[in-house]
Amino acid sequence: MLALKERNNQAFGFLYDNYAGALYSIIKQIITENNELASDVLQEVFINIWRKIETYDQTKGRLFTWMLNIARNASIDMLRSKGYQNSQKNQELPDNVYKGGVSQITQQNVDNIGLKKVLEKLKPEHRVLVELAYFKGFTHEEIADMMSIPLGTVKTRIRNALLQLREYLK
Amino acid sequence: MNLKDYIESGIIESYVMGLASESERAEFERLCAQHPELVAARRKFEEGIEASAKEQALPTPPEVKVKIFEAIGKTAPSSLSSTSPIPPKIHNMENSKSPARGLGMLRLVAAAAVVLLIAMVWLYMQAKQQNQDLTKENDGLKVQRDTAQNILDRIVQEQKQAIGDPNTTVVNMVGTKSAPKSSANVYWDSASSSVYLVVKNMPKLPNDQQYQLWALIDGKPSDLGVFDASKDDKVILKMKNTRKAQAFAITIEKRGGSPSPTLEKMQSMGKATQTQ
Repeated sequence: MLALKERNNQAFGFLYDNYAGALYSIIKQIITENNELASDVLQEVFINIWRKIETYDQTKGRLFTWMLNIARNASIDMLRSKGYQNSQKNQELPDNVYKGGVSQITQQNVDNIGLKKVLEKLKPEHRVLVELAYFKGFTHEEIADMMSIPLGTVKTRIRNALLQLREYLK
Repeated sequence: MNLKDYIESGIIESYVMGLASESERAEFERLCAQHPELVAARRKFEEGIEASAKEQALPTPPEVKVKIFEAIGKTAPSSLSSTSPIPPKIHNMENSKSPARGLGMLRLVAAAAVVLLIAMVWLYMQAKQQNQDLTKENDGLKVQRDTAQNILDRIVQEQKQAIGDPNTTVVNMVGTKSAPKSSANVYWDSASSSVYLVVKNMPKLPNDQQYQLWALIDGKPSDLGVFDASKDDKVILKMKNTRKAQAFAITIEKRGGSPSPTLEKMQSMGKATQTQ
């Protein structure tokens, strides 16, 4: 850890070799349609890890958790960027997806990978909330608004979904 | 607040996955500082997420690593696993949270010190072993020297006894016509039959020749052995034993001696006064 904070080249190479694949998998679960942009995000994520390594606080969690959240945030930022929206213009608009409801999202993600694979085991009404919150980066309020369900219900369902997730990860 | 209920509320998962709100995060972090079991539960979930993510790792585009290292201004260290779909299991870096991680340099120094210490002990042992070997060798040489000295002493003693013994006949050899200056003494111990020769004055011979001592027994010469004359004439030579002798004679013979004396080369001769 010290070697990383001292910006040790070797240590960083080691970090990349051991975690890039796992983070790339998360990135691709969020940026599903564009491999080039996903690989750009991966690059950006590791440059950010390098630059921000001294802000990592190990009392707040494991290094992987920290990196995972950097990867997730960068992916969601990309998802919302104009460039990405334009590249997706031929695809369905996000709004349509939500209007289509739970089943459509479920359908769309059948062949997904990683955590999404674990999510498949969840109840559909739980799963879509986690999808929206975790992989699309919507806040609980946005989701409550979108789905027309009370904020408290969104929170409870997401929490319950995450608890089930914990069971599957054991 | 009941900690167990809190742990089971899903807050850990929300927090770890980045879905908790700002106030939830702050509360969670505050409680983590107070409750190690909360930290343990968080860690367990984190490990689960990490293991799952690693299982699902995808092969990364090879050029990404190069681009990253270009961007941070360093060259990418070579790696065997940069494109491997499943990263190798590694020792979890931040798992060992102890401050000892920060003591890498100290560890290195300590390791070096240990190596140095071992080297010094080894050298010391080597030196000690060498010393022991030399002492042993020295002792061995001392014993040899003492033994040699003892043997020499015994010989000298024996010879002195022979010479001083009342049974010993001293035969004064005098030079013959061909070598008037040659002289030697034969000490003949009639009791033990031992014959000793003390050369007093015998010219040095060419290398291919030696003096030969004879005992004349009933008119017949009997070989008593050969000897060299040197400048250091005081040596007492032990010759072959003879029980009988009327006279002794010394001749010059070829090196190694002759079966019968060359009488014209007789150098000196003496009569044994006591005959057996």
